[in-house]
Amino acid sequence: MSQQKIRASELVVSLILFEVGSTTLFLQGGGVKQNAWIAVLGAGAAGALVLLLHLAIHRRDPRLDLFLLFHRYMGPWVGTVFNLGFIAYFAYEMSRNLRDMGELTMLTLLPGTRIWITALITLLVVANTVRHDWRVSFLTGMALFPIMVASYLILILIIFLSGLIHYEFLLPVLENGVNMDMAKEVMKLVSFPFGETVVFLVFYPLIQQRRSVVRNIMISYFGIVLFLAFINQLSVMVLGPVLAANTTLPLLETVQLVQFPGVFERMDALFTLILFMGLGFKMVYFYSGAVIGLERVTGIGYRKWIIPLGALIFWAAFWSPNYTHHIWLGREIVLFTIWPVFQIVLPALLFTVMLLRRNKIKPH
Amino acid sequence: MLNKWLKQVLTPRTQAAGQKAGTPSQSLPVNKNLLVSMELLRSKLGRSPDFVMRGFTSSKGDSPYPVLAVCYVDGLVDHMQLTELIEAAARTAENSLQNGREPSGGEPDEGELDEGKPDGGESVAEQLARSLPSADLQKKATLDDVIASVLSGSVVFLADNTSYALSVSIPGGLRRSVEEPTSQSVIRGPKEGFTEELSTNMALIRRKLKTPDLRMEVRQIGTYTQTRVAVAYIQGIAQDSVVEEVRRRIDSINTDSILESNYIEEMIQDAPLSPFPTIMNTERPDAVAASLLDGQVAVLIDGTPFALLMPVTFFKFFQSSEDYYQRYDLATFLRVLRIMTFLVALLLPSLYIAITTFQQEILPMTMLITLAAQREGTPLPALLEAFIMELTFEVIREAGVRMPRIIGPAISIVGALVIGQAAVQAGLVSGTMVIVVSFTAIANFVIPSIDMAAAVRLMRFTLMILAGTLGLFGILAGMIPIIVHLVSLRSFGVDYYAPYAPFHKSNMKDMMIRVPIWAMKTRPDQIAGKNRTRQAPYQYPPVEETLLGSSSQGGQEEPS
Repeated sequence: MSQQKIRASELVVSLILFEVGSTTLFLQGGGVKQNAWIAVLGAGAAGALVLLLHLAIHRRDPRLDLFLLFHRYMGPWVGTVFNLGFIAYFAYEMSRNLRDMGELTMLTLLPGTRIWITALITLLVVANTVRHDWRVSFLTGMALFPIMVASYLILILIIFLSGLIHYEFLLPVLENGVNMDMAKEVMKLVSFPFGETVVFLVFYPLIQQRRSVVRNIMISYFGIVLFLAFINQLSVMVLGPVLAANTTLPLLETVQLVQFPGVFERMDALFTLILFMGLGFKMVYFYSGAVIGLERVTGIGYRKWIIPLGALIFWAAFWSPNYTHHIWLGREIVLFTIWPVFQIVLPALLFTVMLLRRNKIKPH
Repeated sequence: MLNKWLKQVLTPRTQAAGQKAGTPSQSLPVNKNLLVSMELLRSKLGRSPDFVMRGFTSSKGDSPYPVLAVCYVDGLVDHMQLTELIEAAARTAENSLQNGREPSGGEPDEGELDEGKPDGGESVAEQLARSLPSADLQKKATLDDVIASVLSGSVVFLADNTSYALSVSIPGGLRRSVEEPTSQSVIRGPKEGFTEELSTNMALIRRKLKTPDLRMEVRQIGTYTQTRVAVAYIQGIAQDSVVEEVRRRIDSINTDSILESNYIEEMIQDAPLSPFPTIMNTERPDAVAASLLDGQVAVLIDGTPFALLMPVTFFKFFQSSEDYYQRYDLATFLRVLRIMTFLVALLLPSLYIAITTFQQEILPMTMLITLAAQREGTPLPALLEAFIMELTFEVIREAGVRMPRIIGPAISIVGALVIGQAAVQAGLVSGTMVIVVSFTAIANFVIPSIDMAAAVRLMRFTLMILAGTLGLFGILAGMIPIIVHLVSLRSFGVDYYAPYAPFHKSNMKDMMIRVPIWAMKTRPDQIAGKNRTRQAPYQYPPVEETLLGSSSQGGQEEPS
């Protein structure tokens, strides 16, 4: 695999796109109603610790990626088992996003088209991006970043201009205090989207200049947290806490309400494309992470893995018999069971082992 | 006897040439015997009537054999200079003391090179070299060299008893003069364009860049065409690695013919199968000069007025040299406009198809009703309708390019009235579709580069199919691979989508936005080499305080 280096700014931009990705699709922290923004901010703070853990691992041995680190510090056998676990995790994340994409298309743009067709096309487009050198996926992020930023800015602007905001939906603040519901929402949010940055442990070693990378990543991370809390609360402020929590795609619902008669009547179809791009980026990085992992484990070039793994992901995307089951599985089950293992437990374990064996195994 | 000997010499050579067509055959030296050389040359050129050869005898001796011969190809040389040269040659032959000798006479002595001085004086060739009124005098040792220079517009002198020939390059004949470029015209700016002649084109660039650092390396490519190809760059501004890479790629071309710059372009570009051009071409010397100053490398090819520029980025194709000859604000506006028309040319028909077929809800109600009313009677689905109309336009366009000029009006009448108006009136095509197709066509012409416009034309059809089957989702599924492809492309090591991905802040001043000339302090990143500074900073037009004072004073004084 060619070691094409990327610039720190490219990685930061990709991290932003990745985090925003599919997050805006769902209402985050819907369980605590109008206090969702507190949940997002709290989870952002907790997620910062997780991100710092990942960055600390990277800083201890900056030349090796996630898979090589496990292999080096945990030994070939244990390391390979963990690596396969990570590959499965990345692939499963990718397959979930693929299903989201298919369902989203069916709900919004193409109600008459079979879901497997749109999912297959999406998979092909994503696989095509992964097929290139991974530098290309980061550069694609750079190329599409201005479009994403401009779209979200326009969206926020027109929502404010159209007078749909009801600030009274923010009240009362913390009517029940900090309780179990809040803790549950925060835990969910740490796993999705904040903890998912674990996949970037595969990409950190590609950075050309390491100077002040950690600082830049943390600054942009907090920017993302604020943005997500804001855009999330926007749905609550427009739709109201009850409706927002019970709508499948609250942000799209919000966009639908925006109307400038005679010019724009339904902008949600256009905005769906922006959501697609975000989902696409998420898929690209998970897919890349998985195929790079397969190369690290087997020694066979990552391009050869794209098609077999793609077939597996495609199959896995249709595990759930319906969307409700898919959402329930993703938003209620794996967030508490599987995700934290890969996002927090295993990196923490790795970091501990790295610290314990620091005299025996020097950084590469 | 001479003929027999000639046959012996020639037969194995022609056989060898027959076996290995296209490869240069082993070269024969210029024979000391003038008659042999003359006969060899004549037969090698197939006794072509445009190959003129004449021998001069000396008046001092009584020999009927010539001492000096001149040869050239009629039409390739400049007749004024030719007359002068021939006069000089005739005088030399007249005055030479040496007799023409018997062709079958004494065997030529192989060991001695400077033979033929029977009287101890200088040879005919030396006398001739002294008397020829030309600075560009070259010695040619082999017959192939002689033929090569004769065929590229030289006049060649052969002297008896001399093992080399003298060649003077006087290219001439009828060539097109320097005219206004037809493919890239400007309102303000130089009106001269390249011609088909390499030396003229090189001079046109030299006139703009009077620096010794301007390097032009000429090489010949094509076993049959022997086309002269010049690699031009400015030493110190161009990146050495890029220059080296251009040289390497050009030298690796092994072909029999180079007839136009596209022969070279397709042989050396980075992504030969991509629809996007990774090498730019221009007809304008000022554009080449500006590019050289940016650190690009130019390749000029004899026989075509189009020069190649490399490395090039995607957004360069949306710039015109006129952007620098008019005000910066207008230039900026035009650049943004060009990018927008690029998107229109690429996407408008597919967006129309997608919206009318799948996502009607995007449109406001009144517009939707208007569109629906128009489409009510049309028999075809939007995709098919758009496809037919686009293809029709492409046909009309191609006909317009190929047809004789006299029947041009007929094509426009048929195109505009019959296909446009009549089709709408007959209810076969909706009026909106005609508007969409025509606007797309016009937008396509706004893109300054023909290559980029061609890329758009091809991709438009793909996107239309995607839009017709999957709507907006299909357009996105088509656009993302295009962007990924654009980002993955490189032109001679420079990222094609720079300076946006990867991001180069200092290049932004001359991409979408064209800042005023005084603010362009540096040359573009990535493309230019070590010499990065273009001009001194802070050159905001300085205005003398005294001028300000006097004008205001003058204004006050006059009325009083």
